[in-house]
Amino acid sequence: MSQEQVYTVASDSDTTGDERSSAPFPEIAIGIDIGTSQCSLAVWNGSQVELIRNTRNQKLMKSYVTFRDESPVGGVSDQLSHEYEMLSGSSVFNMKRLIGRIDTDPIVSQASKTLPFLIQTLGIGVKPFIAALVNNMWRSTTPEEVLAIYLVELKALAEVGVKRPVRNVVLTVPAAFSRFQLTRISRACAMAGLHVVRLMPEPAAVALLYAQQQQLSVHDSGSEKVALIFNMGAGYSDVAIIVTAGGVSQMKGLAGSTVGGEDLLQNTMHYLLPNMENLFPNKIKSMGVLRVAAQDAIHKLSSQSKVQIDIDLGNGIKICKIIDLEEFEEANKEVFEKCASLVTRCLQDSKVNVEHIDDVILVGGCTNIPKVKNMVMGICKKNKIYPGINPLEAAVRGAALEGALAAGVNDPLGSLDLLTIQVNAHSIGIRANRDSFVPIIARNTTMPARREVVFTTAHDHQTEALIVVYEGDEEVVEKNYLLGYFKVVGIPLAPRGKPEINVCMDIDASNLLRVMVGVLMPGEQNPVVPPLEVRMPTADDGNGLTADVLNRSFGSTLDLVTLHNKMSR
Amino acid sequence: MAVSSISTASSFFTSPNFSINLKSSVKSSSNSVKFGRAPISASYATAEKTETIRSFCSNTPSSLYDVLGVRAGADIREVKAAYRRLARVLHPDVGSSDSSADEFMKVHSAYATLVDPVKRADYDRTLVQRRAGGSSPVRFSGGYKSRRWETDQCW
Repeated sequence: MSQEQVYTVASDSDTTGDERSSAPFPEIAIGIDIGTSQCSLAVWNGSQVELIRNTRNQKLMKSYVTFRDESPVGGVSDQLSHEYEMLSGSSVFNMKRLIGRIDTDPIVSQASKTLPFLIQTLGIGVKPFIAALVNNMWRSTTPEEVLAIYLVELKALAEVGVKRPVRNVVLTVPAAFSRFQLTRISRACAMAGLHVVRLMPEPAAVALLYAQQQQLSVHDSGSEKVALIFNMGAGYSDVAIIVTAGGVSQMKGLAGSTVGGEDLLQNTMHYLLPNMENLFPNKIKSMGVLRVAAQDAIHKLSSQSKVQIDIDLGNGIKICKIIDLEEFEEANKEVFEKCASLVTRCLQDSKVNVEHIDDVILVGGCTNIPKVKNMVMGICKKNKIYPGINPLEAAVRGAALEGALAAGVNDPLGSLDLLTIQVNAHSIGIRANRDSFVPIIARNTTMPARREVVFTTAHDHQTEALIVVYEGDEEVVEKNYLLGYFKVVGIPLAPRGKPEINVCMDIDASNLLRVMVGVLMPGEQNPVVPPLEVRMPTADDGNGLTADVLNRSFGSTLDLVTLHNKMSR
Repeated sequence: MAVSSISTASSFFTSPNFSINLKSSVKSSSNSVKFGRAPISASYATAEKTETIRSFCSNTPSSLYDVLGVRAGADIREVKAAYRRLARVLHPDVGSSDSSADEFMKVHSAYATLVDPVKRADYDRTLVQRRAGGSSPVRFSGGYKSRRWETDQCW
């Protein structure tokens, strides 16, 4: 295993190269928090978690890759002379927001108008075209490739830090990520020669850290502590509610949304220059200046009530403005409302009463914003934030803990005697009853899980059925993420409503999703044709496009309807 | 009412018979990596694990209380403690590679019923009937051997 340590980005092929991985002596996996704006690395050093610093002694490194003549460099090793350099067109960033999204996604179209590199959208449901400016020429890349280049640098840094080859990693991911996006992250890791041991939702990593602290401080292992974790970074927000006792933390609810500091930034830029879309693509420099000014203003408004902005965007456009906290909060009202409803929804889902919450844990850079802080504390009716956790390091520390746990490391002091029982963040189901989404595994189901729902044919003498698998929580099926599709054939000729089509979904401990379908005739014990087992996701990038094509080709001819719900618990 | 008269064949993949096949197929086909994990701390692994596994696998537990290894009158605190104790041994994240998701799912399902006062009361009622000789006034009788408590609620 240790011989292939050449730092190259492997080809973007369909095999993730996970096959040979069970080493006789499992190595401790490195924890990586791959953030929209910043990344960090941590590892269990034998007695505790330690963050790995780069050559400039930074624990938090900017997430971007600059494309130059020779070879691209990322924010781990690169030294920017000034932030503007990152905004000159040759640097590509915010990949965590863009990865695994199609060009009809509002996040992508918004990014295409405001980020200082090329994101070309055709608006037809395919991958966007992303490019960096190199010698005055747009050179194409992909989010996976940019992440892989960055991860190669992180890998090299980690190897210096732990003085051994590194292959296994635990990455934290937003709860909002679809399964398709998770496969893209795994792909980027594979391209960088890394093997993903776990992709952990960010709050799950924080929960692990919290459970460890509780276990070391609370001696009565029977007493339960309920905690709400709110995480808001540059790209995403997540909420989780956990119940911890004796080193076991049970997740009661998990919710995530693509709303973060980037939205605050874009709204603030908009507020400063309402017609800013017209600046791009010809005036990248101006866009960069505006971005830096807006970013700076947001930071300052966390500790002061007003900030003076005085910038020259060139071409005679000058902005000289004082922006106060009230204006900032008004311009970002929607963002704050989205965060509030995320917290409320998670509380409702987990059936936890706010009175029972013992600790409120805030993590992520944006929780430093007074409005965000007050909003979460207000909903939870608390006035003290849980003090024991560093908001910028919690996720990576939790990932490093998981890296040690997954390798089976024992700690004589018992600080690794931990278990997190997770739930899935999104419902998974199929299209049935015309255009409805019928969940089979509901969101917030404890994993591993297996659930089964029985469907039947929608037409007389229907011999085939199309199984279209979606992930999400929207009733209208198209608003959810398409994970894959396949056809069940060999249904015996029968009146509609007669054949029983058993659709079972199974999520195993490593979060692998499989869909199994068997056809039975009433009263019979054995399926009429061998059941199918399909690993998901199977769908390629063209999410929107695929759904359209399926609709056009088959209409409702291969539809299913719910027969009855026999949820096995 | 009408829907629940479907035969037992409807729980095809989640019936006990199937899950055994499933288990073996998972191991061979899945290329998701079981990250080789040494057993947990020695004392834990030897004493508690073997004991729990033995009591768990001994035979099909006759009630959800047996699944969790608690007495029928156990309070919520005991149910939760038992669940946590079993999770620390049976959860696929902690077990050595031979521990399967099925065992944990059974424990979790028992816990989910017993920790919820309403579900537990329903379950207790069916349990009493079954113990009383199975002469419940349920109407669907023919060919309905492995009745489950969920379906019994229909009357």
